[in-house]
Amino acid sequence: MSDVLHYIWLGILAVFQGPALFHLLGFALPAAPVMLFFGLLTGIAVGATPGLAGPMAMAISLPILISVFGFTPDALLPVFGFLIGIMKGATVGGAVPAILFNTPGTPDALMTTLDGHPMARAGQPRRALRIAQISSVAGDTFSDLVLFVCAPFLAILVERVLDLPEKTALLVLSLSFVAAVMGKSLGRGLLSVSIGLLAAYVATGQDFYPRLTMGLPGLENGFPMVAAVLGVLIVGEIFCSIEDLLRAGTSRATADGGPEKRTSDGLQPGDLKRITPYIARSAIIGTVIGAMPGVGSTLAAMLGYTFGKRRHEARRGPADTPFGQGAPEGIAATEAANSAVSGANLIPVLSLGIPGNAAAVFLILAADSIGGFNPGPAVFRFTAPEVNPELVIAFGIFTLMSLGNILNWTIGGAFMRSLGVLARIPNRYLLPVVLLVTLTSIYVQETSFFALWVTFGFGILGYLFRRAAVPVLPFVIAFILAKPLEETAREAFAATGGDPLFLFRSPVSLLLFGATIGSIIFLHRTSDRHEPPSGPRETR
Amino acid sequence: MKSVLASLALAAALVSAPFHAWADGWAPPGPIKMLIGFAAGGGADTQARLIAQGLEKKYGWKVLPEQAPGNSGLNLAKQLASEPADGTAFGMVVTETLAYSAVASKNPDFELSKFTSLATTARFQLGLVAMKGGEFDSWDKVKAAAAAGKPIRFGTASDRQADVAYHLGQKTGIDFNIVPVKGGAGVMNGLRGGDLDIGWVAGAQSKPVKQGEMINIASGIPAALIDNPEAPKITDLGSDFNLDGYFMFIAPGNMAPDVRKALGDAIRDVLTDSSTEAYAFAQKAFGGASVVTGEELDGYMADSVDASKKLIKAVSN
Repeated sequence: MSDVLHYIWLGILAVFQGPALFHLLGFALPAAPVMLFFGLLTGIAVGATPGLAGPMAMAISLPILISVFGFTPDALLPVFGFLIGIMKGATVGGAVPAILFNTPGTPDALMTTLDGHPMARAGQPRRALRIAQISSVAGDTFSDLVLFVCAPFLAILVERVLDLPEKTALLVLSLSFVAAVMGKSLGRGLLSVSIGLLAAYVATGQDFYPRLTMGLPGLENGFPMVAAVLGVLIVGEIFCSIEDLLRAGTSRATADGGPEKRTSDGLQPGDLKRITPYIARSAIIGTVIGAMPGVGSTLAAMLGYTFGKRRHEARRGPADTPFGQGAPEGIAATEAANSAVSGANLIPVLSLGIPGNAAAVFLILAADSIGGFNPGPAVFRFTAPEVNPELVIAFGIFTLMSLGNILNWTIGGAFMRSLGVLARIPNRYLLPVVLLVTLTSIYVQETSFFALWVTFGFGILGYLFRRAAVPVLPFVIAFILAKPLEETAREAFAATGGDPLFLFRSPVSLLLFGATIGSIIFLHRTSDRHEPPSGPRETR
Repeated sequence: MKSVLASLALAAALVSAPFHAWADGWAPPGPIKMLIGFAAGGGADTQARLIAQGLEKKYGWKVLPEQAPGNSGLNLAKQLASEPADGTAFGMVVTETLAYSAVASKNPDFELSKFTSLATTARFQLGLVAMKGGEFDSWDKVKAAAAAGKPIRFGTASDRQADVAYHLGQKTGIDFNIVPVKGGAGVMNGLRGGDLDIGWVAGAQSKPVKQGEMINIASGIPAALIDNPEAPKITDLGSDFNLDGYFMFIAPGNMAPDVRKALGDAIRDVLTDSSTEAYAFAQKAFGGASVVTGEELDGYMADSVDASKKLIKAVSN
C-alpha cells in the first residue's frame, strides 16, 4: 500500500516539478500544468465551435507539440497535459452551441439541445449552461475516479492471467468488438477494420525487405502514422464538408436565434438537489459504456437521456417541466452521461494499450511518437526500491486529469459562457483554416512532402468511407493495433513452439474467442437505432 | 522547421568552426548528422546523445542527433549510404549490424567495405537472463526442466541472438521455443510478465541483476560477466559461438583516412575524459567505455563477418 502512495506522490511531483516552461517573476512555471490549462481553454473553444471536435484539435496539435517538446521522456507529461486538457475542455464546451443556438458542437451534445435550448429560449441560458457544466464535470470526475481505481487492478489482473496467446485473442476480440458496435452494419465495420490492418501492414514485419510496398521507395518505412490517421479522420471529414457546402450553397444550417426574453437566470434554488440523482445515474451509465472500446459517448448520452426521461416521467409533479421542454434534469442526464465516457475510455488504453475512441487514439499516438511510455499492462509494475518511470507517468496522467477537473469546475464555466460567438463562424472560413493547420502540423512532424500525399490519399479514403457509410474509427483503431497484434501473435506462435493452434489451447483464450464470435453475432445490427437521428457526422 | 534548424546550426558551425579547426587540424565542413539506430529513450540512444553533446562541448562541432531505428541497424546503414563521406554524417549501430545482419541480408549494399568503421563505444555485457528465485534461475535448472519435458521459452532480440540460441539448443540437446521480441527491454518485460522463461540481454539487465530481481545464468561473451562472474560462458556449455559485440559508430564508405582518424579520436576523447557525461554514463550502464578504432577495429570487424558466416552455416545445416 505504501508503494502505491509513494507512486501517487511521485506522479504528483512529476507534474509540478517537471521541466519549466518559462519563468515568471523568478518562479519556474512547470510545463505540464500550464499546458493542461491552455489545452483546457483550447478544448472548450473547440467544443463550442460546431464542426470542430476535441479529437480533431488533439490530432492537429500533437505533431506541433512533439516538435516543440521533442522526443525525450520529459516531453510526455506536458504533451499529455495539453491533450488531456483538450479532451476535458471539449466535453464541457460542446454544450455551449447546443444550448444557445440549437446547434450541437459535438455529436454527443445532440440530446443537450432537447432541453438546453428550450430553457435558453425561455430566458435562462445561464442556468442551462451552469447545469450543463456541473453535470458534465461531475460525470467526468466520477469516471476519472473509476479509472484511477480500476486501471491498475485490471492491468495487474491481465498480466497475471493472460499469456501471449490470450493477449493475441484479446486484441482480436477488441477489433471485432469495435467493428461490430460502430457504424451502421457489421459488414461495414469489418471492412473498415480490414482496410486499417492492410494499410498498417505495409512495409512492417520482420524481414530484411519491406513487404507490400509494390516497389515504391517512398513506402519503405510504411505509411506515416500521423499522415494516415489525420488523413482519414480530418481531411476526409473536410472533403465531405466541402462537398456539403458546394451542394447546399450555404455555410451552415442556420441556427435559430438566441434567447429572447430574460427571466431570473442562473442556477435556481433546488436545482442541484433536483439534478443530482440524474447525474449519478448517467455518470454510471457513461462510465460503463466508456469502458468498452469503440462504443462512444453518443450512445451514452442517448441512454442517459432515455433512462432519465423514464425516471422523470414516473416521478414528475404537476409543476415540473417535462423532458423536451427545458427540464434541467434532461440537460443533466445527457451531459453527465456523455462526459462520464471520457475517463472510463482510458481504462482499456492504460491497462491494455487498446484505444477505444479517437481521443484515446491520440494519447496512444503521443506515447508512441515520444517514446518512454508504452501504455499496457507492463506500466503498472509497482517496483521498489527501483522506480518504474512508466508508472510515475501514469500517475502523472491521473494527476493531470484531476487537475483538469478542478479547472473545469472553477474557470471552465466562466470561460464557456463567454464563447457563444464561436458558433457563428461560417464553415467556409473554418474549413480552410483547419485544413491548412492539419497539413502544416503533419509536415512539421514528418518533414517530407510524401507524407502530405499520403495524407491526401487517406483523406480521399476517409471521404469514400463517409459517403459509403463505413465508419472511420475502426480503421484508425485497427491501424494502431495492427502492430501489437502481429507482434503478440508472432511471439505467441514462437513461444508455443510453433503450434498452429496456439489460439485454441487455453480456456481463457477459448473464452475470448467465444466472445469474439459472440460480439459479431449478438452485437450485429442492421438498424441505425444507436445513431442520432440527425446532426453532425460522428468524428470522434 | 528542420531546414531552419539546419541552417541555424550551419551558421553556428561556420562561426565557431575556424577556432577549433586550428586547434585540431580537422573540422567538419558543416553540422554533423548523427543517426541513431535505436529507439529513443533507451540506453544506446542516451549514450549516443551524450557523445553528441560531448563532441559539441569539447570540439565546438554542431551535432544533430536523429533517430533511424529498425531492422537491426540496417535501416540506418541504408540511410547513411546516401550521405557524404566528408565527416558530416555518421551513425550509431552495433558491430552485429555490419557483420551478422549484413551477411544475413545477402544484400551487397551492406558489405563491410561499403562503410567506414569509426570507433566502438562500449562492449556488450551480454548474458542469458532469468528471473531470480524463479524456475529457471540457473543453467542446471534449465537443463533439468528441459529433461522433464517442459517447453522453455527463450527470448531473443535479434536474428543473430536467435541463431545462437538455436545453436546452443542443438549443442546441449534442448529444443528451445525461440521467441523474437523487441530489444533487451522486450526480453525483460517478457520475463517479468511470465511470457518468457529465459532470454539474451546485452547490458540493460545490469540494474535488475544488481537489485536481485534477475540473474545472469550464463555469459554470452568470451569473458565472465561483471555482475555474475560465476555464470558459465556459453562456449563452456557447448556452444561454438558467442554473442560478443560493441556499440559502434559507422560512416559512409571511402572516407579519407585523416577524417576517419579525426572522428575516431574525437569519440575516444569524449568517452575517456572523466569530466564528460558520456564517460559517466558508460561507467554506469556498460561498466566503462571500450573504444576500438583504426586497423584494430577493421580486424575485429573482419573476424566478426567470418564468425557470422560460420554461424549462419552452422544453424542452416
